[in-house]
Formats: sequence, structure tokens, C-alpha cells
Amino acid sequence: MTNTECPELELLFTELSEGSGASLEHAKSCERCGEFVSQHRELERELFRLADPFPPSSFVSQVMAKVAGSPVSKYRELKVGLAIMFGAFALALSVLIFGGGVGQVGILAASAVVHSQTLLVGVSSAISALWTTAAVPMLLSLGLVLGAALFALKRLMPGIPQFSEVKISS
Amino acid sequence: MTLPDEGKSLPWKNDVVAARRGDHSAFASLVRSVQRPVYGLCLRLLKSDAEAAEVAQDAFLRAFQNLHRYDEARPFDLWVIAIARNLCLDILRRRAKVHTQDVEEMKEVLPAGDETQENRAIAREERKSLEGALATLPVEDREVLELYYVQKRTTKEIAGVIGVAPGTIMARLFRAREKLRKQMAPRELS
Repeated sequence: MTNTECPELELLFTELSEGSGASLEHAKSCERCGEFVSQHRELERELFRLADPFPPSSFVSQVMAKVAGSPVSKYRELKVGLAIMFGAFALALSVLIFGGGVGQVGILAASAVVHSQTLLVGVSSAISALWTTAAVPMLLSLGLVLGAALFALKRLMPGIPQFSEVKISS
Repeated sequence: MTLPDEGKSLPWKNDVVAARRGDHSAFASLVRSVQRPVYGLCLRLLKSDAEAAEVAQDAFLRAFQNLHRYDEARPFDLWVIAIARNLCLDILRRRAKVHTQDVEEMKEVLPAGDETQENRAIAREERKSLEGALATLPVEDREVLELYYVQKRTTKEIAGVIGVAPGTIMARLFRAREKLRKQMAPRELS
């Protein structure tokens, strides 16, 4: 077989990867292609023996230091903030509903609009009415909203020290 | 319920879920499991130990910050490798000049096996020569050779990392290998 009939190198390479084909058959009887194939096989063997080096021993700790020092992602901040907000809202709402405070709040709001002249009196009577009829649900709701707001504030500001870390200077 | 095969096919899944919730030890476990190929690719592309370590660390940091964007159906290592590759390419683009002659010697990496001392020395020289020839190739050739031969990735996986068709990877591999063979030929003669 003459050199003019030799296949394209790319075709030979593809068949070399596949393991069979007309070009590979040709290479068996062609000195030039056979030499090419054996050189490539040798090179492949050498390449397959290479391996990735290990990173420095402090690599993982350095990555984790960077991770610990990086600000919390905006996505996580938003997700946590929204979850806390909706959670607090749902809890406060359920306490109001099951405590019977919603009706009281509605009546008080309506009376404040209708009797705007006596708004001050209305507000004070509303508070006292709420206190007498639904004091516990009202206190619970206020406490929950306040607590959740403080917790959310603390989560959104990672730089502020923990209570245990605060030092009182003399 | 978790299927029995799920843990095998997606070994990083539990750690990813935990890391997303802010569990740093789970993320450290992920880093440990894929640090070698990520650092290896960075080293192959940047040819500098210090820079490779820095970029690989940044790649993991970005992975942590963007864990919510990670598709669990994809291999975690390939995702981080793709991030690291992009960071490396950014650095290479910024480099005003590429010093092809100033090639750092790669570390010794192969397990010894049952080879004799003499054979090991020959193999070491051959590998050094191969590493040197590899380092002179353009970055696009180095990355396909690293991913295919060193990391034993399939052409489909490489295509996913680089963002081209698997056929293109085959062609690139052919060209890269051909260049490497030519690069090696004069050394062998001398």
C-alpha cells in the first residue's frame, strides 16, 4: 500500500479511540501509519500515567477560613429574612384569631374612624377593652413580633458580637 | 425516601444539602473530596503553585456562595472545576505576557508501585519531559489533555465543563496530542 492511500490522521485517531476500523487495518500493513499509531499509543500510555498533584496540606483550612470570613450570600439573607417575617406574621395572626382579638381590633379601628373627634378617648378605651377581653393573646402577639424582629435583626447583622462576647469595661 | 442507588450516584448530595443550610463541616468534606482535581487543573493552566492554590480556593469560595444555584443532578466536582477553569481563564487573559519558557517543574505525583529504583528514575525523567512539553502547549490544549488523560473524564463530561459539543473535544484532543507528539519528538531525538 502506498503513502497516497493513507487515511486522514483525524480518522485514524478516531478509530484508534474506538479500537477498530479500516484505517487501523491499513496501519497494520503501512509502515508510516503503523509508526504513527505506535507513537500515539506510547504517548497515550505516558499521558494516562500522569496524575494530579496534591494541593498544599493547609488547603482545606484556608478554603474554610475564606468561607467563614465571607459575607452571607444575599440569597440566603433574603430567604432567612422572609422566612422569619412570614413565620412571625403567621404566628401573631394565629394567636390573634384563636384568642378572639381580631374582632376587637376591627371594632376599635372602625370606631376610631367614625368617631375621629373622640380618637384619643377611643384609643384609650380600646386599649383598656383589649386588656380586659384579650390581654393574653395581645401580649403573646406583641412578644412574638418583638422577639422575631430582634432575631431577624441579629441574623442580618453577623458582625455584632454575641451576648457572651460582650465585655463590660469598668 | 432515599433510593439505595442515589447515595452511590450522587455521593456529594447530602453534604451539599447540609452546606446549603450553613453547615461548614459538610462543605469542608466536599472540598476534601474534590480538591485534588480542582487544584490540578488550576496548576496545569496557570503553571504556578501559589496562583493555582489561590484560584482553587477562590473557586471553592464561589461555589459555597452560589450553592443555591448548583444543580444536584450534575456532578459537584465538574461544577467546581468549571468555576475554577473560568477563574483561570480570567487570570490568563489578564496576564500581559505568557512566559512559556519559564515553566515551573511539576511535583512528583505518581505512586511508586513495584518499580525498581532505576525504573522509577527513568519514569520520573520521562514524566518531567512530558510535563515540560505539556506546559508549552496553549491553554486550550492543556485543559483538554488534563481533563481527559490526567483526570480520566469522558469527552461528554469535558464538553459540559468547557461548554462545547463532545465532537469538538475529540477534535481538540487530536490536535493537542498531535502538538504534544511533535513537541516531544525533538527532545527524544536529542
